[in-house]
Amino acid sequence: MENFRKVRSEEAPVGGGAEGGGPGSSPFADLAPGAVHMRVKEGSKIRNLLAFATASMAQPATRAIVFSGCGRATTKTVTCAEILKRRLAGLHQVTRLRYRSVREVWQSLPPGPTPGQKPGEPAASLSVLKNVPSLAILLSKDALDPCQPGYQPPNSHPGPSSQPTAPTSKRSLGEPATGEGSAKRLQPGPSAAEEERMA
Amino acid sequence: MAENREPRGAFEAELDPVEYTLRKRLPHHLPRRPSDIYVNMKTDFKAQLARCQKLLDGGARGQNSYSEICIHGLGLAINRAISIALQLQVGSFGSLQVAANTSTVELVDELDPETDTREPLTRIRNNSAIHIRAFRFAPK
Repeated sequence: MENFRKVRSEEAPVGGGAEGGGPGSSPFADLAPGAVHMRVKEGSKIRNLLAFATASMAQPATRAIVFSGCGRATTKTVTCAEILKRRLAGLHQVTRLRYRSVREVWQSLPPGPTPGQKPGEPAASLSVLKNVPSLAILLSKDALDPCQPGYQPPNSHPGPSSQPTAPTSKRSLGEPATGEGSAKRLQPGPSAAEEERMA
Repeated sequence: MAENREPRGAFEAELDPVEYTLRKRLPHHLPRRPSDIYVNMKTDFKAQLARCQKLLDGGARGQNSYSEICIHGLGLAINRAISIALQLQVGSFGSLQVAANTSTVELVDELDPETDTREPLTRIRNNSAIHIRAFRFAPK
Protein backbone atom coordinates (compact mmCIF):
# COMPACT_ATOMS: atom_id res chain seq x y z
CA MET A 1 0.00 0.00 0.00
CA GLU A 2 2.99 2.30 0.04
CA ASN A 3 2.31 3.34 -3.52
CA PHE A 4 -1.10 4.61 -2.62
CA ARG A 5 -2.33 7.52 -0.67
CA LYS A 6 -5.71 7.92 0.91
CA VAL A 7 -7.90 10.35 -0.89
CA ARG A 8 -11.00 10.28 1.22
CA SER A 9 -12.91 8.14 3.56
CA GLU A 10 -16.59 8.02 4.26
CA GLU A 11 -18.37 6.62 7.19
CA ALA A 12 -21.86 5.29 7.42
CA PRO A 13 -23.67 2.98 9.77
CA VAL A 14 -23.98 -0.58 8.55
CA GLY A 15 -27.31 -1.34 7.03
CA GLY A 16 -27.91 2.09 5.62
CA GLY A 17 -28.67 3.83 8.88
CA ALA A 18 -31.75 1.90 9.81
CA GLU A 19 -30.67 1.79 13.43
CA GLY A 20 -31.34 4.55 15.91
CA GLY A 21 -29.82 7.66 14.48
CA GLY A 22 -29.85 8.22 10.78
CA PRO A 23 -26.88 9.46 8.82
CA GLY A 24 -25.85 12.90 9.87
CA SER A 25 -27.77 12.94 13.12
CA SER A 26 -26.52 12.10 16.55
CA PRO A 27 -26.53 8.42 17.51
CA PHE A 28 -28.63 9.37 20.52
CA ALA A 29 -31.23 11.38 18.71
CA ASP A 30 -33.96 9.54 20.58
CA LEU A 31 -32.54 10.23 24.03
CA ALA A 32 -30.96 13.66 23.78
CA PRO A 33 -31.63 15.47 20.54
CA GLY A 34 -29.88 18.65 21.60
CA ALA A 35 -26.67 17.06 22.78
CA VAL A 36 -23.30 18.36 21.71
CA HIS A 37 -21.76 15.75 19.44
CA MET A 38 -18.04 15.20 19.83
CA ARG A 39 -16.63 13.09 17.06
CA VAL A 40 -13.44 11.46 18.24
CA LYS A 41 -11.03 10.57 15.48
CA GLU A 42 -7.83 8.60 15.69
CA GLY A 43 -5.59 11.65 15.67
CA SER A 44 -7.70 13.78 18.00
CA LYS A 45 -5.89 15.16 20.99
CA ILE A 46 -7.62 14.35 24.22
CA ARG A 47 -6.68 17.70 25.72
CA ASN A 48 -8.37 19.59 22.95
CA LEU A 49 -11.46 17.45 23.04
CA LEU A 50 -11.83 17.78 26.76
CA ALA A 51 -11.21 21.50 26.78
CA PHE A 52 -14.10 21.95 24.41
CA ALA A 53 -16.29 19.44 26.20
CA THR A 54 -15.71 20.94 29.64
CA ALA A 55 -16.40 24.40 28.31
CA SER A 56 -19.66 23.25 26.71
CA MET A 57 -20.84 21.42 29.77
CA ALA A 58 -20.00 24.39 31.96
CA GLN A 59 -22.89 26.21 30.37
CA PRO A 60 -26.08 25.23 32.17
CA ALA A 61 -27.96 25.22 28.88
CA THR A 62 -26.04 22.18 27.62
CA ARG A 63 -27.72 19.15 29.13
CA ALA A 64 -25.94 16.33 27.36
CA ILE A 65 -22.87 15.50 25.37
CA VAL A 66 -22.16 12.59 23.06
CA PHE A 67 -18.75 11.11 22.30
CA SER A 68 -18.58 8.88 19.29
CA GLY A 69 -15.64 7.14 17.70
CA CYS A 70 -14.94 4.09 15.63
CA GLY A 71 -12.07 1.81 14.80
CA ARG A 72 -8.85 2.99 16.37
CA ALA A 73 -10.54 5.88 18.09
CA THR A 74 -12.74 3.64 20.23
CA THR A 75 -10.39 3.52 23.20
CA LYS A 76 -9.87 7.26 23.01
CA THR A 77 -13.64 7.77 23.11
CA VAL A 78 -13.94 5.75 26.29
CA THR A 79 -11.03 7.61 27.84
CA CYS A 80 -12.53 11.01 27.03
CA ALA A 81 -15.85 10.02 28.53
CA GLU A 82 -14.20 8.65 31.65
CA ILE A 83 -12.10 11.76 32.19
CA LEU A 84 -15.12 13.98 31.72
CA LYS A 85 -17.08 11.90 34.21
CA ARG A 86 -14.29 12.35 36.69
CA ARG A 87 -14.30 16.09 36.26
CA LEU A 88 -18.06 16.46 36.34
CA ALA A 89 -19.69 14.19 38.84
CA GLY A 90 -23.28 13.13 38.61
CA LEU A 91 -23.51 12.45 34.90
CA HIS A 92 -25.75 9.69 33.61
CA GLN A 93 -24.26 7.54 30.93
CA VAL A 94 -25.62 5.42 28.13
CA THR A 95 -23.24 3.45 25.94
CA ARG A 96 -24.14 2.06 22.56
CA LEU A 97 -22.15 -0.27 20.35
CA ARG A 98 -22.65 -0.72 16.66
CA TYR A 99 -20.81 -1.40 13.46
CA ARG A 100 -19.88 1.34 11.08
CA SER A 101 -18.77 0.77 7.56
CA VAL A 102 -15.93 2.94 6.43
CA ARG A 103 -15.20 3.32 2.75
CA GLU A 104 -11.71 4.50 2.03
CA VAL A 105 -10.62 5.54 -1.44
CA TRP A 106 -6.94 5.23 -2.17
CA GLN A 107 -5.26 6.55 -5.26
CA SER A 108 -2.00 5.37 -6.65
CA LEU A 109 0.83 7.82 -6.40
CA PRO A 110 2.46 9.09 -9.55
CA PRO A 111 5.45 6.89 -10.42
CA GLY A 112 8.27 9.44 -9.94
CA PRO A 113 10.11 12.36 -11.42
CA THR A 114 10.69 10.56 -14.73
CA PRO A 115 7.41 11.08 -16.50
CA GLY A 116 6.18 7.62 -17.32
CA GLN A 117 2.75 9.01 -17.95
CA LYS A 118 1.22 12.34 -18.62
CA PRO A 119 0.15 14.26 -15.53
CA GLY A 120 -3.39 14.36 -16.73
CA GLU A 121 -3.76 10.62 -16.77
CA PRO A 122 -6.17 9.26 -14.16
CA ALA A 123 -4.43 7.37 -11.38
CA ALA A 124 -5.59 3.92 -10.39
CA SER A 125 -7.84 4.07 -7.42
CA LEU A 126 -8.75 1.48 -4.88
CA SER A 127 -11.80 1.42 -2.72
CA VAL A 128 -11.71 -0.41 0.58
CA LEU A 129 -14.81 -1.15 2.58
CA LYS A 130 -14.21 -1.96 6.23
CA ASN A 131 -16.62 -2.84 8.96
CA VAL A 132 -15.28 -1.36 12.14
CA PRO A 133 -16.73 -1.51 15.62
CA SER A 134 -17.80 1.83 16.98
CA LEU A 135 -18.89 3.26 20.25
CA ALA A 136 -21.16 6.13 21.18
CA ILE A 137 -21.32 7.38 24.75
CA LEU A 138 -23.96 9.79 25.94
CA LEU A 139 -23.28 11.74 29.12
CA SER A 140 -26.22 13.68 30.44
CA LYS A 141 -26.86 15.94 33.38
CA ASP A 142 -30.51 14.95 33.46
CA ALA A 143 -31.57 11.51 34.56
CA LEU A 144 -32.04 9.01 31.78
CA ASP A 145 -34.19 5.93 31.48
CA PRO A 146 -32.43 3.17 33.43
CA CYS A 147 -34.08 0.50 31.31
CA GLN A 148 -32.00 1.50 28.34
CA PRO A 149 -29.39 -1.09 27.48
CA GLY A 150 -26.02 0.33 28.34
CA TYR A 151 -27.26 2.66 31.07
CA GLN A 152 -24.82 3.47 33.83
CA PRO A 153 -25.82 5.66 36.77
CA PRO A 154 -23.43 8.29 38.11
CA ASN A 155 -21.19 6.98 40.84
CA SER A 156 -19.44 8.72 43.66
CA HIS A 157 -15.97 7.45 42.71
CA PRO A 158 -15.34 4.85 45.35
CA GLY A 159 -11.89 3.45 46.04
CA PRO A 160 -11.00 -0.10 45.08
CA SER A 161 -11.79 -1.40 48.52
CA SER A 162 -15.43 -0.42 48.68
CA GLN A 163 -17.95 -3.13 49.28
CA PRO A 164 -21.18 -3.84 47.51
CA THR A 165 -23.56 -2.50 50.12
CA ALA A 166 -27.24 -3.04 49.79
CA PRO A 167 -29.04 -0.21 48.09
CA THR A 168 -29.64 2.53 50.61
CA SER A 169 -31.95 5.47 50.35
CA LYS A 170 -29.38 7.40 48.34
CA ARG A 171 -29.69 4.97 45.52
CA SER A 172 -27.94 6.86 42.78
CA LEU A 173 -24.83 7.54 44.83
CA GLY A 174 -24.81 4.45 46.96
CA GLU A 175 -23.90 1.90 44.33
CA PRO A 176 -20.11 1.74 44.05
CA ALA A 177 -18.23 0.78 40.92
CA THR A 178 -21.26 0.97 38.74
CA GLY A 179 -19.67 -0.78 35.82
CA GLU A 180 -19.01 -3.93 37.73
CA GLY A 181 -21.89 -3.58 40.09
CA SER A 182 -24.56 -3.49 37.50
CA ALA A 183 -23.05 -6.41 35.70
CA LYS A 184 -23.35 -8.50 38.82
CA ARG A 185 -27.08 -8.63 38.61
CA LEU A 186 -28.07 -11.49 36.44
CA GLN A 187 -31.34 -10.21 35.08
CA PRO A 188 -31.90 -6.76 33.66
CA GLY A 189 -35.35 -6.84 35.31
CA PRO A 190 -34.56 -6.37 39.01
CA SER A 191 -31.97 -3.71 38.33
CA ALA A 192 -34.46 -1.67 36.38
CA ALA A 193 -37.00 -2.07 39.15
CA GLU A 194 -34.51 -0.90 41.73
CA GLU A 195 -33.51 2.13 39.72
CA GLU A 196 -37.07 3.06 39.00
CA ARG A 197 -37.87 3.22 42.67
CA MET A 198 -35.42 6.06 42.89
CA ALA A 199 -36.18 7.76 39.62
CA MET B 1 -4.31 8.06 29.23
CA ALA B 2 -1.84 10.01 27.19
CA GLU B 3 -1.59 12.72 29.79
CA ASN B 4 -0.05 10.41 32.37
CA ARG B 5 2.64 9.11 30.16
CA GLU B 6 5.48 11.58 30.65
CA PRO B 7 9.00 10.14 30.79
CA ARG B 8 10.82 11.30 33.86
CA GLY B 9 14.34 11.45 32.52
CA ALA B 10 16.74 9.33 34.48
CA PHE B 11 14.23 6.90 35.89
CA GLU B 12 13.23 5.64 32.49
CA ALA B 13 16.67 4.14 31.95
CA GLU B 14 16.03 1.60 34.65
CA LEU B 15 14.34 -1.70 34.43
CA ASP B 16 10.65 -1.27 34.24
CA PRO B 17 8.72 -4.32 35.31
CA VAL B 18 5.20 -3.28 34.70
CA GLU B 19 3.05 -4.54 37.48
CA TYR B 20 -0.62 -4.59 36.97
CA THR B 21 -1.47 -4.95 40.61
CA LEU B 22 -5.08 -4.22 39.99
CA ARG B 23 -5.35 -6.68 37.23
CA LYS B 24 -4.33 -9.48 39.47
CA ARG B 25 -7.21 -8.55 41.64
CA LEU B 26 -10.14 -9.18 39.35
CA PRO B 27 -12.63 -6.30 39.40
CA HIS B 28 -14.07 -6.17 42.87
CA HIS B 29 -17.67 -7.35 43.31
CA LEU B 30 -17.03 -9.70 40.47
CA PRO B 31 -15.49 -12.98 41.46
CA ARG B 32 -14.59 -14.83 38.38
CA ARG B 33 -17.91 -16.41 37.65
CA PRO B 34 -17.80 -18.82 34.77
CA SER B 35 -19.87 -16.38 32.79
CA ASP B 36 -17.13 -13.74 32.79
CA ILE B 37 -14.78 -13.47 29.86
CA TYR B 38 -11.69 -11.29 29.99
CA VAL B 39 -10.52 -10.35 26.53
CA ASN B 40 -6.84 -9.83 25.81
CA MET B 41 -4.74 -9.14 22.76
CA LYS B 42 -2.60 -12.23 23.00
CA THR B 43 -5.17 -14.92 22.45
CA ASP B 44 -6.52 -15.46 19.00
CA PHE B 45 -9.68 -13.54 18.22
CA LYS B 46 -11.50 -16.53 16.83
CA ALA B 47 -10.69 -18.57 19.88
CA GLN B 48 -12.13 -15.95 22.20
CA LEU B 49 -15.19 -15.57 20.03
CA ALA B 50 -15.72 -19.32 19.99
CA ARG B 51 -15.39 -19.45 23.76
CA CYS B 52 -18.04 -16.77 24.23
CA GLN B 53 -20.33 -18.46 21.77
CA LYS B 54 -19.90 -21.75 23.58
CA LEU B 55 -20.80 -20.16 26.89
CA LEU B 56 -23.98 -18.80 25.44
CA ASP B 57 -24.97 -21.94 23.61
CA GLY B 58 -23.85 -24.41 26.20
CA GLY B 59 -22.50 -27.86 25.59
CA ALA B 60 -23.32 -30.13 22.75
CA ARG B 61 -26.49 -31.30 24.38
CA GLY B 62 -27.52 -27.82 25.41
CA GLN B 63 -26.43 -28.16 29.01
CA ASN B 64 -24.73 -25.52 31.07
CA SER B 65 -25.42 -22.50 28.93
CA TYR B 66 -25.52 -19.08 30.47
CA SER B 67 -28.30 -16.66 29.86
CA GLU B 68 -25.99 -13.72 30.36
CA ILE B 69 -22.28 -13.39 29.91
CA CYS B 70 -20.07 -10.46 30.67
CA ILE B 71 -17.18 -9.54 28.41
CA HIS B 72 -14.46 -7.36 29.88
CA GLY B 73 -11.76 -5.50 28.00
CA LEU B 74 -8.96 -3.25 29.19
CA GLY B 75 -7.17 -0.66 27.09
CA LEU B 76 -6.47 -1.95 23.62
CA ALA B 77 -8.69 -4.95 24.24
CA ILE B 78 -11.72 -2.64 24.34
CA ASN B 79 -11.87 -2.77 20.58
CA ARG B 80 -11.63 -6.50 20.57
CA ALA B 81 -14.29 -6.86 23.24
CA ILE B 82 -16.66 -4.73 21.19
CA SER B 83 -15.93 -6.79 18.07
CA ILE B 84 -16.63 -10.00 19.93
CA ALA B 85 -19.88 -8.68 21.33
CA LEU B 86 -21.06 -7.40 17.98
CA GLN B 87 -20.11 -10.61 16.23
CA LEU B 88 -22.05 -12.59 18.80
CA GLN B 89 -25.02 -10.37 18.18
CA VAL B 90 -24.80 -10.77 14.44
CA GLY B 91 -24.51 -14.52 14.74
CA SER B 92 -27.52 -14.82 16.99
CA PHE B 93 -29.98 -13.43 14.47
CA GLY B 94 -31.25 -10.74 16.76
CA SER B 95 -31.91 -12.75 19.89
CA LEU B 96 -28.96 -11.30 21.73
CA GLN B 97 -28.91 -7.92 23.35
CA VAL B 98 -25.75 -6.14 24.38
CA ALA B 99 -25.28 -3.46 26.99
CA ALA B 100 -21.97 -1.78 27.66
CA ASN B 101 -20.61 -0.07 30.73
CA THR B 102 -17.32 1.72 30.98
CA SER B 103 -15.02 2.29 33.88
CA THR B 104 -11.53 3.38 34.75
CA VAL B 105 -8.95 0.97 36.10
CA GLU B 106 -5.80 2.03 37.89
CA LEU B 107 -2.61 0.35 36.85
CA VAL B 108 0.53 0.47 38.89
CA ASP B 109 3.94 0.45 37.27
CA GLU B 110 6.83 -0.58 39.40
CA LEU B 111 10.21 0.72 38.40
CA ASP B 112 13.15 -1.17 39.83
CA PRO B 113 16.33 0.83 39.81
CA GLU B 114 19.05 -1.39 38.50
CA THR B 115 22.03 0.86 38.87
CA ASP B 116 21.36 2.34 42.26
CA THR B 117 20.13 0.97 45.47
CA ARG B 118 17.21 3.29 45.37
CA GLU B 119 13.84 2.00 46.32
CA PRO B 120 11.45 0.95 43.65
CA LEU B 121 9.36 3.74 42.36
CA THR B 122 5.71 3.21 41.68
CA ARG B 123 3.77 5.09 39.12
CA ILE B 124 0.05 5.00 38.77
CA ARG B 125 -1.68 5.13 35.43
CA ASN B 126 -5.29 5.10 34.51
CA ASN B 127 -6.71 2.96 31.79
CA SER B 128 -10.17 2.62 30.36
CA ALA B 129 -12.11 -0.58 30.62
CA ILE B 130 -15.32 -1.77 29.12
CA HIS B 131 -17.77 -4.33 30.45
CA ILE B 132 -20.23 -5.64 27.94
CA ARG B 133 -23.16 -7.71 29.04
CA ALA B 134 -24.64 -9.99 26.42
CA PHE B 135 -27.92 -11.58 27.26
CA ARG B 136 -30.59 -13.46 25.45
CA PHE B 137 -33.49 -11.19 25.15
CA ALA B 138 -36.24 -10.83 22.65
CA PRO B 139 -35.86 -7.42 21.02
CA LYS B 140 -38.79 -5.10 21.54
